[in-house]
Amino acid sequence: MVFNSLTFIVFFACVLGLHSLPLPWTVKKINLLIASYLFYSAWNPPFVILLWVSTVVDWYAAQGLVKARRQGTRHAWMLLSVIANLGMLGYFKYGEFLLDNFSALMNSIGVAYHPAHYDIVLPVGISFYTFATMSYTLDVYLRRAAPAKNLLDYALFVTFFPHLVAGPIMRPTELVPQFAEPRRASAQQLRFGLALMTLGLFNKVVLADSFLSGAAERVYDGARVPGALDAWAATLAFSGQIFCDFAGYSTTAIGAALCLGFAMPDNFRFPYAAVGFSDFWRRWHITLSSWLRDYLYIPLGGNRHGPHRTYAALMTTMLLGGLWHGANWTFVAWGGLHGIYLSGERLLRGRFAGYRPGPWAFFALGLLTYTLVNVTWVFFRAKTFTKAWVVLKGMAGQNGVTRPILPTFTLLSVAAIVGGILITHWFMRSRTLESVVARTPPLAVGVIWALMAFAIVIAQGDGSAFIYFQF
Amino acid sequence: MLLGALALFALLLAGWEGYWRAYGVVPGIRNTFGLWAIQRRRIDEGEGDATVLLGSSRTYFDLQLPVWQALAGRAPIQLSYEGTSPMTAVEDLAADPKFTGRLLIGVAPDLFFSGDGFALGVAKYAHKQSPAQRVGQWLSMRLIEPYFAFFDADYALRTVLARQPWPQRPGRHWFTDVRKLAIYEAGRNAHLWSKVETDPAYRDLARSIWAEGFVVYPGDPTPDEMLKSEKEQIERAKQAVAQLRARGVEVIFVRLPSDGPYLQYEERFYPRKRSWDGLLAATGVPGIYFADYPELRGFYLPEWSHMTQAEARRFTVAFYGVLQRELPKAQASHTGKQAVQH
Repeated sequence: MVFNSLTFIVFFACVLGLHSLPLPWTVKKINLLIASYLFYSAWNPPFVILLWVSTVVDWYAAQGLVKARRQGTRHAWMLLSVIANLGMLGYFKYGEFLLDNFSALMNSIGVAYHPAHYDIVLPVGISFYTFATMSYTLDVYLRRAAPAKNLLDYALFVTFFPHLVAGPIMRPTELVPQFAEPRRASAQQLRFGLALMTLGLFNKVVLADSFLSGAAERVYDGARVPGALDAWAATLAFSGQIFCDFAGYSTTAIGAALCLGFAMPDNFRFPYAAVGFSDFWRRWHITLSSWLRDYLYIPLGGNRHGPHRTYAALMTTMLLGGLWHGANWTFVAWGGLHGIYLSGERLLRGRFAGYRPGPWAFFALGLLTYTLVNVTWVFFRAKTFTKAWVVLKGMAGQNGVTRPILPTFTLLSVAAIVGGILITHWFMRSRTLESVVARTPPLAVGVIWALMAFAIVIAQGDGSAFIYFQF
Repeated sequence: MLLGALALFALLLAGWEGYWRAYGVVPGIRNTFGLWAIQRRRIDEGEGDATVLLGSSRTYFDLQLPVWQALAGRAPIQLSYEGTSPMTAVEDLAADPKFTGRLLIGVAPDLFFSGDGFALGVAKYAHKQSPAQRVGQWLSMRLIEPYFAFFDADYALRTVLARQPWPQRPGRHWFTDVRKLAIYEAGRNAHLWSKVETDPAYRDLARSIWAEGFVVYPGDPTPDEMLKSEKEQIERAKQAVAQLRARGVEVIFVRLPSDGPYLQYEERFYPRKRSWDGLLAATGVPGIYFADYPELRGFYLPEWSHMTQAEARRFTVAFYGVLQRELPKAQASHTGKQAVQH
């Protein structure tokens, strides 16, 4: 079920009520586990089996790793986990993509190959939970973490509903220890958790779905050729939409976990105030970028084997990171562009090591970063390269005379919301939400909270899925 | 702080609800894909032999299910969707072997022959609806919709803000979104909202929104493109009807009344001889065209396209009578086709 639905509100109220009953801790954990399976099966019940497969395989793989005496056996257990998880991911997420590309390749060399249509439904959140379970086995393999003490704690780590389908991608070391002792939110945690959930849903329901998604849809999914204003408005709208959608999900997830007494890591840190791309990736989808750094970039050599190997590792990581987002070459292009940006930045930092920008140059570099990030969003949002080029040409003012696509109100709302997001991100660049809330008068916090809740209700969201569910 | 926020939230919500009630809105069931899916499931759950109504808003608002039930002893399943061509749903039923009943397909020319509509994905949604979405629909119909008047797509925050008189960008015509026209019930019986009938300003607004569509603007489909689209839709109908009739389903096309400038527009862009007669000839099934039956003429359509609730009740009685007279033709055409096939 999605967070932005009446079903979830009722579900969460029941879970919260059950969790606050004076029951033994193990019973409460079993309740949470059952609730999490219900949460997931509410999309498509049979896919719970995949969760079980992922859970059981990694549980036994980690047990095997602990008991193994020989390095070869340890390798085998680790490979079992990686193959099982990536196999599932490959079959469900990349099967059609691989088959289509293979047929195209065969046909291009004159071999007529027309396989049957690959009609497989992508299980929601498979990219997230396979990465979470893989990190468990890999951490045990690399001796970074001890295995969970019991299957219940481990299964709950994999399945815990706040992070299950769209992250933050949790590490076992972050969550499993929290299941060891009884946890219940304090009144302060409950208040802050509910406030975070309100903020997250405001981002998703009001800003992303009600005001921003339409602009991107009309330009990116429509047949009309956009002029400069429409192309830029749609792309800026998408930059706001994807942030509000995904950060909204993460904030709601963190808030839901906090209401139950659990802490989850930040996934976003005001990314549109980033100056440079390494800064951007320290602020955007933090749990994925740290996962890719720890389990891909560093094993590929990281920056310890000279510049060529570093650039190769960087590009490989970002290309695969792009592919992780979706089985389409446009996502690979998106990742590739980020790889080029990161490599370019690394090169420039080496050349101008002593350069320290003044405040205006710093701000200008931030705007340049945001502008270049927007260019990458074109490939992320467009379903085909043809469409991406049409929008990019529009952004460059190269589409000639065009008819307007977006009405004035849409342009104004995009400008106001995206402008507001940028100002907020720059204001919050070096602050945390907790510190700002602590310094704001309670009356003002209460009013803002009530206004956000009111806006969520009167926006009447249609319960549309979060963008990252498809990844 | 939490209690203060809750109090302010409740106050704001009460104000918003009061504002829309003062405007004349009353709480009611929302016409959603989930509501449609409930009716669509009836076919899979043992009512495959039922009469099904498919069409756009006229078939939806002008045919009253309780009246039909009183006349026939059993109400039809209402699967029409306003502002949407029924063809996708017709194809969905054609592909469903569980449906063996009778199908009335409403033809609103501008929607039917263009194949357009905002709810074309409704059948797909119904088949893929998740358990969570089903529960959400159930909860919404019991906990929210019967109590809150503001909970209507026409009063959503963005919709309300977007329809304020913003200056318009030059270079094209910006169409006004269609406003709330109907009241819906849980079983998908619907009727024209009384405000359209009793509030002259609202009626004129509804008329002016239709009238925007009667003008050809730069960038609109050309006559050739419209004709091409019309042929494509007739071909789609021909294939779907053949599939339905092969299974013994009786199919009848119905053209419900329109009036005034709306009727003139339809006759100008979709002349009966070409579109309606072409459809019947291609599919080989009978049709009921309101103008051919004195008892189906002369009803009051405040905004030229839909009847008031009282008129719709009266019309349903008259229509049911005509249908009973025309049904033997549908049965005969079906039997005749089977005989030819054998």
